Formats: sequence, C-alpha cells, structure tokens
Amino acid sequence: MSQLSLKHLEKSFNEARIIKGIDLEVSHGEFVVFVGPSGCGKSTLLRMIAGLEDVTEGEIAIGGKVVNDLPPVQRGIAMVFQSYALYPHMTVYENIAFPLRVEKLPNAEVEKRVMAAAKVLQLEPRLQHRPGMLSGGQRQRVAIGRAIVRQPEIFLFDEPLSNLDAALRSEMRIELMELHKRLGSTMIYVTHDQVEAMTMADKIVVLDAGTISQIGSPLQLYHKPDNLFVAGFIGSPKMNFIAGTVSSADGTTIAVDMGKLGTITLPRSAKVGAGQAVTVGIRPEHLQLGEGDFTLSITPRIVEHLGIHTVIYSTLPGGENFIGLFEGDPKVSDEAPVTLGFARDQVHLFDGAGQAVY
Amino acid sequence: MTSTRSASLFALALLAPALVYILIIVAYPLFDTIVLSFTNAALRPTYDWVGWANYERIFGAGNFTEVIIRTFIWTFFSVALKMIIGMCGAVLLNAAIPGQTLFRVLTMPPWIVPMAIGIFMWGWMYNGQFGMISGLLQNFGLTNGPVAWLAYGHTAFWATIVTDVWIGVPMVTIYFLAAMQSIPKDLYEAAWTDGAGRFYRWRRITLPLMLPAILTMSLLSLIATFNSLDIIWILTQGGPSGSTTTMIIDTYKTAMGSRKYGEGAARAVVICIFVSIFCLVYFRAVRKLSQGEAK
Repeated sequence: MSQLSLKHLEKSFNEARIIKGIDLEVSHGEFVVFVGPSGCGKSTLLRMIAGLEDVTEGEIAIGGKVVNDLPPVQRGIAMVFQSYALYPHMTVYENIAFPLRVEKLPNAEVEKRVMAAAKVLQLEPRLQHRPGMLSGGQRQRVAIGRAIVRQPEIFLFDEPLSNLDAALRSEMRIELMELHKRLGSTMIYVTHDQVEAMTMADKIVVLDAGTISQIGSPLQLYHKPDNLFVAGFIGSPKMNFIAGTVSSADGTTIAVDMGKLGTITLPRSAKVGAGQAVTVGIRPEHLQLGEGDFTLSITPRIVEHLGIHTVIYSTLPGGENFIGLFEGDPKVSDEAPVTLGFARDQVHLFDGAGQAVY
Repeated sequence: MTSTRSASLFALALLAPALVYILIIVAYPLFDTIVLSFTNAALRPTYDWVGWANYERIFGAGNFTEVIIRTFIWTFFSVALKMIIGMCGAVLLNAAIPGQTLFRVLTMPPWIVPMAIGIFMWGWMYNGQFGMISGLLQNFGLTNGPVAWLAYGHTAFWATIVTDVWIGVPMVTIYFLAAMQSIPKDLYEAAWTDGAGRFYRWRRITLPLMLPAILTMSLLSLIATFNSLDIIWILTQGGPSGSTTTMIIDTYKTAMGSRKYGEGAARAVVICIFVSIFCLVYFRAVRKLSQGEAK
C-alpha cells in the first residue's frame, strides 16, 4: 500500500484553477521531487498535502486514511519552509523544541529528542544561539531539526535550498540525501531546479500548469521524456529542438525533412502521416565534433571554456538556438564554422502536439 | 580630508533648520521654565530669585504628593486599558473575518473627530439628565435614577479615563496591527503545522515579536496620557473637589488660574523629571531587548 495517495486532486483560488486533477502514489521511504517552472502549482500541491491549503476537489490519503479535513498536526507530516520560518526570538534549542513544547512533552524527553537531532545535524555548539547569529546553512539545519524531532511519517520540503548560494546548496543537497538514507522516511521535495531534482530524487514528478507532465526516475525522464515540456525542462543545457516535417514513414523508420539542414531518418515504428509537423530533439551533450550518423555545419556565436567542458552557442538557419556541449577543451572558437554530428539513437522525436514519438 | 570636511559641513547645513527649531521651540522654553521655577514670578512686572522655595512649598503642602499619586493611578489605568483594548482590536482586525476593511475603517472615528468635539460629546453622554449613558442604564433598570457621572469624585475619575481610552485606542490599534502584520506569515504556518493553537501562537510568537512595538507604544502613550490636559479640563476642570486633578491640571491651575508662574514652573519641572525617567527606562528596555536578539 502506498504511503501517500493523491486522487483527482484539484485546487482553485476563486476562478483560477491552480491544480487540475493530480493522481499520484508515493511509497514508504521514497524521495519524491516535485519539479516545474514558477507558477506550475508545485508549492500549492505540497501545501495541500501539508494541510495548509484546502482541497477543492479530490482526495489526499496518508497511510490509507483520507486526511482532507484533518489539521496538519494530525497528518503525520512535518514541513520545512523555503524561508526556514525560524522564530527569531527563540534560541536554536527552543526552535527545535517548539513542536515538542506544543505537545507538552516532559522536559527530559524534549531534551533527549532535541539533543539527538542537534547531533545528527551538527548543531550542538549552536543550541544557545538565536537564528539571527546563524549562517544560511545552519538555519536550514535548524528548520530540518524542528521537523526531525516530530518523527513524522512524511517530510515535506518547500524549496529549502533556494536561499543558499551555489556552493552551500550542493553541500546541503548531499546532507539531505544522507539524512534521507539515515532516517529512511518518505520525503517530498519541491524545487524549480532540475539539477536538484535529478540528483536527489528516487522519483521525479514534473508539473506543468497544474498538471503532471511525467512521473519517473531521473534517468527515465532524461532518456525517455514523454513530451517536449519534459524534454526541455530536464537536462542542462537544455535540449536543442529543430522544427521539421515528416517526408515519409514506413512503419520502421520516419524520415524528417529539417529544411536547409537536410533530412534525417530515424528508427521509429509509430504511424505518422507524411507532411505532419514534428520536432527533432538532440541534447547538447550528445553532439560530437565532426562525426556521427548525421552531421550539420554551424558557426558558434559564443564559446564558453569551462575546462572540464566547452559549450558553444549558435543559431540554426531556421532561427532556433543550438547549443553544443563537449568534454575537455576541443579546438573551437567563435565565428569559425564547425561540423557537428550525432548518433541516430540519441535523437528524440515529438509530434505536432508535443508528445514523444517512439 | 577636504571631502570629509565638506561632507560634515553639508550634514550640518541640512541639520541647521531642525537645530534652530529645537533650540527655539524646545530648549529655550525648557531652560526658561527651569529658571522661572526658582523665582516668585507672578502677575507683576518684576520677580525675585527665591531659590528652592517653590519646590519646598509644593512638596511641603501635602496635596501635591496626592496629585502625583492620582496622576500615576489615572495614567496607569488609562495606558493599560489602551494597550489591552488596542491589542484585542489589532488581533480582531488582523483575523481573516468578513468585512475586515469595514471594521478597520470603523476604528478610526475617535481619531478623526476633532478631540474637543469628541470630549464635548462624552460630556453630554455623561450628563445625568440628558446623557445617553444614564438614560440607557435607567431604561434597562440598572440604576434607580439619573446618574451624573461627572458630579461625583470616583465616577468622574473613571469617566475621564474612559474618554481618554476612547480617544487613544485607535492609534494603539493601528500601530499594533501594523506591527502584527510585519510578522512573517510562515512563522504562524510553521507553528500551526506543529499543532500550535491560536492562543499558543499568539502567546509564543505574536506577543514576543511585538514586544518592541508594545514598549514603544506604551512609552508614547504614557507620556501623552501623563501630559493629557484637554480631556480632563473640558470634562471636569480637575473637579469635583480635585478628584480628577492630575499634575498637568494642577500645574495649569497654579500657573494660569492663580497666576503663580514661578510655582507653576516648579510643578512643570517635576513633570519633566518624571517624563525623563520614563524615557530612560524605555531606552534601557529597548537596549536590553536588542542585546537579547543579538545573542
């Protein structure tokens, strides 16, 4: 039985439909990441699970029990807020102890649990300080500590790393993953950062305008995106898209005419009629210099040398931006034409409605 | 070096009008009052230096101590009621209730109505024969006959406090509401997620985070109430039998009624000393609060 189950979940604010019928099953111990652009409804969905937003329609069940009308404290969840929501007038100890004080637990039990959480989060030397004296990462840990002491069934994280700088973010990302391993609890994590989603999740839920675009493991989403939205959202730099028209399809291959770039024949069994508009997708990291099943010539506008990688930015004859990512430091420079190639089996194909064609 | 000097000259030039204003409006009258308090100035063209005689007289007379105690009691109840009612009002106006904007607007009239008109209105309401309060109490059978609230010492004392509270509450409410709204919403959401009820959230989050605002408002209200002349003067002129005579009324009566400017000045200086002590206590408390937060 799944630990969290969402059925036909809907949320409207007045006339605006924010969440449009979400169905999702989360198993015990899973690390699930809700990812999507700003305004896609991911935070609203999390707040609905937490009990901070009412459900307009549908059902939320935790541990098999419908919790739509239960207050947050009775749902067995603990939430870590984007702003950490630490009480500025209380010490770190009292911040972590807050939920236990609400429960009116005896002092000895409070101390035991707070000290245990502080040890896990390396906050022991900071227990008597106030949040104003802590760094961003330490505040984050205090917020997590406050969630841990409640020993919840499900942890909810609302963009917890978005206020940290890049270096601290990757450090905290690893700490959170280790914490997940240690506690073995179910964690639901909201982010707009696809790198966070890819590195942390067991299961990613990609949201787009209040609906689920695709659910899958990070590598499933990377290798087999269901649609243009997921293909464009997952991966950095994002996937290159080239507009084309089907020139022929015989049940085993589809030939796509890409205008001045030529025609590419892809192994596909789907039935697609000739003349249909399609989009060809190729990830920047799947491009190679000068070789491949298909080659095209471009002139880089900008070249970025990162040492470990080199990134080139150019524009295709059709006006589309085209990015290439190469390992190491190959000999490319801006305004000097280069020939790029790629393998046929690395190419993605999407129909006129943006759905993947396999 | 030159740029530092020109910067400080520029700062001085900007400060100059305010400095001149403070010197003329605040410093000079204050200094003059202190000088006057050591003289026997009255409605005569000249006056003599009398040393501490005015202070000896006012503290020796006996009734001044009584006036001081009455002023403190009057001020304490008035400020305490303003703070409590203001806080309740702010909590209600901050709650997501239907017609919230209307209620916010309805808080304002005591503040918008010119003070003298508001006080006269209360004077009429307290009237025994024509007053609304006496009439209503009689209609509901709560009193046997008309009650002239301002005619008896103890009722007049409380009647003036009620009017002062009525006038002072809107400002306290709006100030507290603003302070309340500056507390991040997610603190409450986090507490609610942890199971904290409404009162628990108010006690452990709202109240401590509003402490600086409560302190500031208490001091401002304390000074204004301590120096409040118009309400008591219009309603009772300090009567009956001095039962509503506070230090400021006493000073005004001495200086302007009896034309004893020297003695009146001495009484004003005592008020000034009390207000200065309030300010010192306030600044100490604020410093302690900010040190506590920095720890």
